[in-house]
Amino acid sequence: MSETEVKPAAQRRSLRAKPFSRSDRIFYKTATAAANSSIVLVTLILIFLAWRSWPAFESQGIGYIFGSTWDNNPDKMIMQIGPMLWGSIQISILGVILAVPMAISIAYFIVFMANKKIASGVTILVDLLAALPSVVLGLWGLLVFSPVAAGWAKLLHDTLGFLPFFANEDGNFLRSPFIAGWVVAVMIVPIIASVTREIFSQLDRELINASLALGAGRWSTFRRVILPTSSGGIVGGVLLGLGRALGETVAIFFVLNLVFQVNWWNILEAKGGSVASMILAKFGEAGPAEVSGLMAAGVVLFVVTLLVNSLASYIVAKAQPWRK
Amino acid sequence: MEKVVTAVPRPKTAEPWKQISFINLVLIVLAAVVPLGIGLLAMLAGLQFELALLLVFLPVQIVVGSLVGRRVSGKRGMSDAILQVLVIFFAASVFVLLISVVWSVLESGVKTLSLQFFTQNNVYISQTTSLDYGGVGHAIIGTVLLVSLSTIVTVPLGIATAVYLTETRGRTRTLVRTLIQALSGLPSVVAGLFIYAMFIATGITQYVGWTGSLALIPLMLPTVARVAEESLILVPQELRNGALALGAPAWRAFWLVTMPAAKSGLITAVLLGIARIIGETAPLVVTTFAANGTNLNPFNGPIATLPTYLYGFINSNFDTAVQRAWGAALVILILVAILFIAARVMTRSKKAKKKAGN
Repeated sequence: MSETEVKPAAQRRSLRAKPFSRSDRIFYKTATAAANSSIVLVTLILIFLAWRSWPAFESQGIGYIFGSTWDNNPDKMIMQIGPMLWGSIQISILGVILAVPMAISIAYFIVFMANKKIASGVTILVDLLAALPSVVLGLWGLLVFSPVAAGWAKLLHDTLGFLPFFANEDGNFLRSPFIAGWVVAVMIVPIIASVTREIFSQLDRELINASLALGAGRWSTFRRVILPTSSGGIVGGVLLGLGRALGETVAIFFVLNLVFQVNWWNILEAKGGSVASMILAKFGEAGPAEVSGLMAAGVVLFVVTLLVNSLASYIVAKAQPWRK
Repeated sequence: MEKVVTAVPRPKTAEPWKQISFINLVLIVLAAVVPLGIGLLAMLAGLQFELALLLVFLPVQIVVGSLVGRRVSGKRGMSDAILQVLVIFFAASVFVLLISVVWSVLESGVKTLSLQFFTQNNVYISQTTSLDYGGVGHAIIGTVLLVSLSTIVTVPLGIATAVYLTETRGRTRTLVRTLIQALSGLPSVVAGLFIYAMFIATGITQYVGWTGSLALIPLMLPTVARVAEESLILVPQELRNGALALGAPAWRAFWLVTMPAAKSGLITAVLLGIARIIGETAPLVVTTFAANGTNLNPFNGPIATLPTYLYGFINSNFDTAVQRAWGAALVILILVAILFIAARVMTRSKKAKKKAGN
């Protein structure tokens, strides 16, 4: 065979149909404009918040993020959100730790254990939990849950108080990060659960059946087949929950004592922080300069949650190739 | 030479067709009942409920379950039983939390409800005023006004976004999808601050109703767009192609074929979007303020909403004020439940039709 005769390959043509009638062009342009409005929206949020918060960033410098004083004396304004930022992270991590076992269990129960009727009922209930407004959860958290959880906290302190993070010196167990973490967990369980359920239910059934046919039990199927194939999606769901937890405002505002002093590990003490709740707490009686400081807190919160959520949605999208 | 093949004994778990023997059935029932009894006994003996649950019931349940699992289906039955016990335990704890929320709102809220709680407003009402006076009438009106204003703006925007994501091959689709997903986690207080920075701090307007509606839009948009996208994806491609092949322009194919096919899904998207924002508090606190009187015009003056009403009464030491907060919470919950049931009925009726069609 001779390889001398090489036919020139035809130029690849792009096969793209363009809308030719005017009405179609309007239709597509409208849709495109509307969709791109979300990009505009995010940009606008960043621009306006950054613009309004610039005075605060300028006067406070890098200490705004890492310092831990908030003094609204108009002559010498000191605004630093270090403890609030750490508090947000602390509560979110706590909430995720509490929520993940519950969320994965619910998803596993719905997809692999319950029969169809029970599964759809449980799904409705989880969706209902997701629809509970945070102010209602805050009311419940303040008046019903806090006393109960304070009992749990006391129990933890009495039995495991020698561990550094269960220490509590003043004997007051209310309004602690521990309680806020629980309330946040209640809010993010449905988020993580619904992503995980979606991933579980789209798993290749034949993989699971093959595993069972090889004699593996439920546990080894879960550990060796279900978890490895769905771990990406679960991580994405957990990150989505984390993003929601970081931005939670009203519910935490009611159940947490905001203190401008970094509380590293003592989650049972009534000292905590949350950027979003702090904005709400201080907004009412803030002067223009202080509002600028709160806007800066909003910028920090927005950037952090946007990063976490974008990463999360990227991972979830990666883990769901069937959604294209 | 012939190879001798010896059969490996089949593991017990690989015989799902076998009937469970009577003794094993009794054992399984015992495994479900005995730990409960022991836990109750421990409680009767004076142990605190939480301790009895975690230190007595759960370990006993795990041990008994794994023993019975081993007896019934071999070594693998042990780990399976432990998995099941833990899954059911965690799943049940979610339901205890959910029921606790719903029940406490129902129980405390019902005491507040009365006819005048729905019709009267908050003028001349203080923290200690008896529950015979005043109510959430103005707040219900305010919520309905603000939420419908946001809905009018958000629904076309959200559905058009979904159309862009499903019907076109635009370049920014991935970016838009990611941003929409990311916006669903937008902290609600940031949405409020944004509108505050844009309209109130710049002096364009005072605290007024429509700024609250605007602040709700970024929170509602992701829900509407995502659910609408999901329902549009479910419409078979053949339907669209058929319409296009018959010579319909793309917008008519969408308007007359795709959209009617996805109608119930789109309505669900709207309902879930409304349910998402109806209880939002922080953005409204920052942008509309609360009012005590009834205000029918969202373009003039502050306006009260159910969440801000609840927010105003929640942190009080007076029983009557807290009672009002519970009442408002119940009203919000009822509204959410109505929206939810409506969304359910929508999706249900579509499935029923499909079945009938087959």
